[in-house]
Parts: sequence; C-alpha cells; structure tokens
Amino acid sequence: MFLGFIILSIIISLVIFLAKNNLVTKFLSSLFLLSLLAIIAYAYTNIEQINSIYYKFDNLGLLMAFILGILSLATFYHSKLYLNRHQFNNKQQAIYYTSLIMLITSMMSAYFAENIAVLWVSIEATTLFVSILIFHERTKDALEAAWKYLFVSSVGVALAFIGILFLSITASNNGITDLSLSHLLKISQVMSPIWLKMAFLLVLTGFSAKMGIFPLHTVAVDAHTVAPPPISAFISTTLMNVGFLGIFRIFSIISQTEVLHWAQNVLLIVGVLSVFMSAIQLLKIKHYKRMFAFSSLEHMGIVALGLGIGGIGYYAAILHIVFHSFVKAGLFYQIGQVHQFYKSYWIKDVSGYFKRNPIGGLAMILGIISILAIPPSGLFISEFLIFKAMFMAKHYYIGIFVLILLTVIVYSFSKNAFHLLYDEEKIAETEIVKANPYETISQFVLFGLVIYLGINPPIFFINLINSAVAILN
Amino acid sequence: MSYLFIILYAITLIYFALSERVKKFVWLLSIQGFILFGVVFFNLNKIEIFDFIFILVETILVKAIIVPWFLNRVRKHNHLSREHEPSIPVFYSIIVVVISLIISFILSNYLNNNHIHTKYFTVAFASILFGMYFIIIHKNIFSHVVGYLIIENGIFLMSLAVGSTMPMMVNLAILLDVLMGVLVLGIFINHIGDTFKSIEIDQLSKLKD
Repeated sequence: MFLGFIILSIIISLVIFLAKNNLVTKFLSSLFLLSLLAIIAYAYTNIEQINSIYYKFDNLGLLMAFILGILSLATFYHSKLYLNRHQFNNKQQAIYYTSLIMLITSMMSAYFAENIAVLWVSIEATTLFVSILIFHERTKDALEAAWKYLFVSSVGVALAFIGILFLSITASNNGITDLSLSHLLKISQVMSPIWLKMAFLLVLTGFSAKMGIFPLHTVAVDAHTVAPPPISAFISTTLMNVGFLGIFRIFSIISQTEVLHWAQNVLLIVGVLSVFMSAIQLLKIKHYKRMFAFSSLEHMGIVALGLGIGGIGYYAAILHIVFHSFVKAGLFYQIGQVHQFYKSYWIKDVSGYFKRNPIGGLAMILGIISILAIPPSGLFISEFLIFKAMFMAKHYYIGIFVLILLTVIVYSFSKNAFHLLYDEEKIAETEIVKANPYETISQFVLFGLVIYLGINPPIFFINLINSAVAILN
Repeated sequence: MSYLFIILYAITLIYFALSERVKKFVWLLSIQGFILFGVVFFNLNKIEIFDFIFILVETILVKAIIVPWFLNRVRKHNHLSREHEPSIPVFYSIIVVVISLIISFILSNYLNNNHIHTKYFTVAFASILFGMYFIIIHKNIFSHVVGYLIIENGIFLMSLAVGSTMPMMVNLAILLDVLMGVLVLGIFINHIGDTFKSIEIDQLSKLKD
C-alpha cells in the first residue's frame, strides 16, 4: 500500500514536470494531496503494522505524518499564492510542484521507514529535492544557500551512513544482518557499547544538519533565509522533524542499553549549545527570516534537552516538536504576506505592519506570543514540562543557564517583533497593496490548534505521544 | 589478489594529495572506480548472483565511467585546469595521507573484530579521513565534490569491510541517491560558475549575520 503511494507520487510528479501545464499541475496536485490524506488515514487504521516490507506505521511516524498532512494543505495553498505573486512561468511552476511533491513523499517515506537504510535513503532524497526548492528564485543568494545546504547535508548524511555501518557491525556480531529497526531493538542489550557510542555520535552529527541543531545548524539557517516562504515553513518544521526522527530511531535503540546515560549527556550538551548559539545570534539579527530560523535552532535545542533529561522530558520533547511545527509554519506563511507589502525581509525595511494590515498584524502577534511560549500557547506547556523534568532530575545548573538564555531570546525576539508591528514606517507608501484577509485564515487555524491542543489535548493525541515514547521507558 | 587492489587504492589516495591539476582528480576517481570493481570481482563472489552482478555493474558503470565522465563535462564547462593556490603545500598533504593510513591501520588492528575484514577497513577509514582533509584544503567547490566522492568510495569499501548485506532494493536506492546527488551538485557548480564567473569558495560568503 505504502509503496503504491510512493509510485503514484513519482508518476504524478513526473507528469507535472513533463506537461508544464497549469491545469494539469492543479489537477494532479489536488490528486496528490488527496492520496496523501488517504494514506495517512490508512496508516491510522493500520497502526503498528508492517507495510510494504520496509515500512511500518508506528506511532511517532504517524504523529509526524499528521503534522505533514496538515502543513501540506497549508503549504500548497501558500505556494499557489506565492507563485502567483511572483509570476513565475509555467516551467518554473512545474519544477516547483514536482520538487514539492517529491519532497513530501520522501519525508513520508522517512517517517514510516522501518529499515534504517531506507530511512537514510529517504533523508538523502529530502536533501536533494529541498535544495532544488531553495534555489527556486534563481538569485545569487539562493544559489549560495542551495549549494551549502546540499553539500554540507550530503557530507553530513554520508557521516550518518558511517554511523549506520558501525551499528550494522555490532548487529552482525549478534546475528542480525538486516537493519530492520524491530530486529535491532530486540538485540540492543547485547550490542557492544563502543560501537553504539560511535554510531550515535556520527548519526547525531550527520543528521544535525537536517534537524537544525548544533553543530551543523548553519546550513539550515542559510536555507531558511532565501527559500520561498512556504518552503521555509517546511524546512523549519517537517524537515527538521525528519532529522529528529533519524536521531530518535538510533536513540531508541540506545535507550535499552547501558550507553543511555552517556547518550543523554551528549544530547544535553548539544541542546545547551544550540540554545546558546541561538541566543547569541538573535542579539545581532538583521533579517526576519533568519530570526525565525534561529528561533527554530532554539526550539530544537530544547527538544534535544527534553530527550537528554528523560522521564517526562521524552513526552514533553515530542509535544514540543508538534507545537513548534504548527507555530513556526504559521509564522513563515505570515512573513510571506509581510513581504508583499515591503518587498523585503530586512528588519530595517519593515515596520508599521499593524497599521498596514490589521488582520495580518493580529496573526503575527498571536504567532509571536505562541513561539515565545507565553501562555495560552501550547509551547508554554511543553517547555514547562521540560524544565520541570530538568529540575526534578537535579540538573539545576543547566536549567538556570537555559532559562537565562531563553530570557535573552525573548528580549531580542520581542524587540524586533514590536519593531515589525508598531514602529513608524520609514519608507513612503509607494503603492497600495491589498492583502486578502482570507490568506490569514490558515495561520489563525494553526495558532488556534496549538492553543487548543495545549489546553485540552484529545485522548488519541496523548495516546499517540505516550505510545511513541513508550519504547524509551 | 585483494592486497594488490588495496595497495593500489592507497596509492590513488597519495596521488590525490600529489596532484594539482583538476583533470587528474577526475582520472583518479575513475581509476578508483576500476579498483573497486576489482575488489568486488575477486572477493565478493560468495554472495547471491544478482547482488553480485548489481554491485559489479554499479562500480564499473557508475563509479568508473558515468560519474567521472559527468565531472569532466562540468570541468570543461567551467574551464578548470589547475587548482589555483592549494592552501597547504603538497608536501604536507602527503604526510597527512600517510598519517591517516597509519591511524586507520592502528585502529583496525585495535578493533580486531571477527566480523570485519581488517584489510578493507584500514583503507576505507583512511579514504574517509583523507576525503575530509581534501575538502578542507581545497578552495574551489569542484574539488569539494571530488572530496565528497572520495568519502563515498571510502564508505563503499567500508560497507564491504563490515560485510553488510543490504537488500537489492535498498542498494539500488542508495546508488540512485548518491548518483542524483552528484548530478545535482554538478548542475549547481555550473550555475555557480555562470553566475559568479568563478567557483572559488570565497565567492560564497554573502549569507551571514
């Protein structure tokens, strides 16, 4: 079934690429979205079952797929707006949609991959397609960012492959030759610690480019800066979740062994350094999309901290990933609308947005409150849980240090946000731009969803997260 | 027989450190492809016949012919002949190759695991280390891709060393991924060459805070 979905997506994207016709693109994109939703629904009804040999509809994958499904709808809608605004020709539109569909497909494949080699292949594929999308505007900056993203990610992912090979060495010592996750989990307790440690370090370093955490976070930041806003929304959320999933899979093997404590310490170091880098960079930020990109670095750092602490931190980390995905995507869609008014993302050029577009301004305020984890945002709850876990586990120094860093981040973030919303406009209004208020609906829905899920999470949502982290406990 | 190929492979690494001409890099990559073909041909014939044929075709067709041919086209498109100023003198590079070989030799002896073919592991590990060094010392992005391919060849040898038997479909997918990666990287090099009129890495420094 899942393999059928992949083949269908490949056919759809090929036809779109070859036809280069707007009508065909529209029809086939809708068809793809329908099939995406259908496969997610199918996965939900067949939860925890193996499908197409290499795939398994496991809880965490399903949760990520839900996020991807919701954000795909929004991203396709905003992509249409973006492409219309910039008046790209049919060929460019065809390339855009082909890459977008293949990107979503490879992300789906990464979420549900049961075999670690298949996971690796899917992650490498996401890198290829997203770099084509980053290059979409064909500017010098886009070229630079696309090159850096593709090259550094490829080298990083190659490192991760060495890690996977190390894992297979210790697995084959214990009689498992395929890299199926369930087989590896079964023998994890007898695996050799030294190989596990090396594998974890290499995989963490390699996939850090995808997850956007320290040490290879810089390429993801550059990619956000120049990618079309709907694509930035994807890079910052679902694609980072792919990197997270890659690290999580190896971590779940390690969590059964004596190496767990060591790996958690590594994650704590990575998490603190990520938040630290983000705080430093946000102090001197000059570009709104970079600001959001560094905020993603901060949130992914917090997720790494959650994993590093363990206990309730696991639950909170997954919760944080879900909420962050919705909020950050909404912010990127909204900044795309801001660009329509000011034709720039530089902080010095953009001010007085609230006056120009009150509804968009309202969405922006809501988004900024949510991303800063101020109640009623769901992110407040997940961050609160992570800090609670941190203090309960007696990591006082880390907790206090990270809280100070978060204060710095809130300060620099809100300073720039107030500038965006309320400052006097510096440039004269040359042309009247009218924003369609309906374009803001998707952002309100996403922010509202985060508030709702934070305050009153439905049972099935809690169950999904709990069974996703059950493997770690 | 396999020792011959391993020694030949190590020699190509030393040649990489020695040469300054970009054309030679492409040749050396092609030669590495042929050496890998030899390694597979003489050592891997115990596996299933289809997997065996697939890996043979992969090494000879992709690693030894298609990728070098494509890189050569990219090289001609960008009029590359000589690496302008290698930031580190050749002499030091040779020392680095030798050191990386020694380190991997010691490491693989230290590991001394029954499930690893130590002889491949040594040269594979040296190849990965050297590939990274190669990326760091060169200033143009074409050489960076060459470095990436040296790492990839090292990883290929390492997967032989650990004897990991991935299913055919997965092998095919890995191959396609890497091949696509090289093609897209090559296309980007051409774009960068056309846009910036140079493929030195110093050109790519606009995106920062």
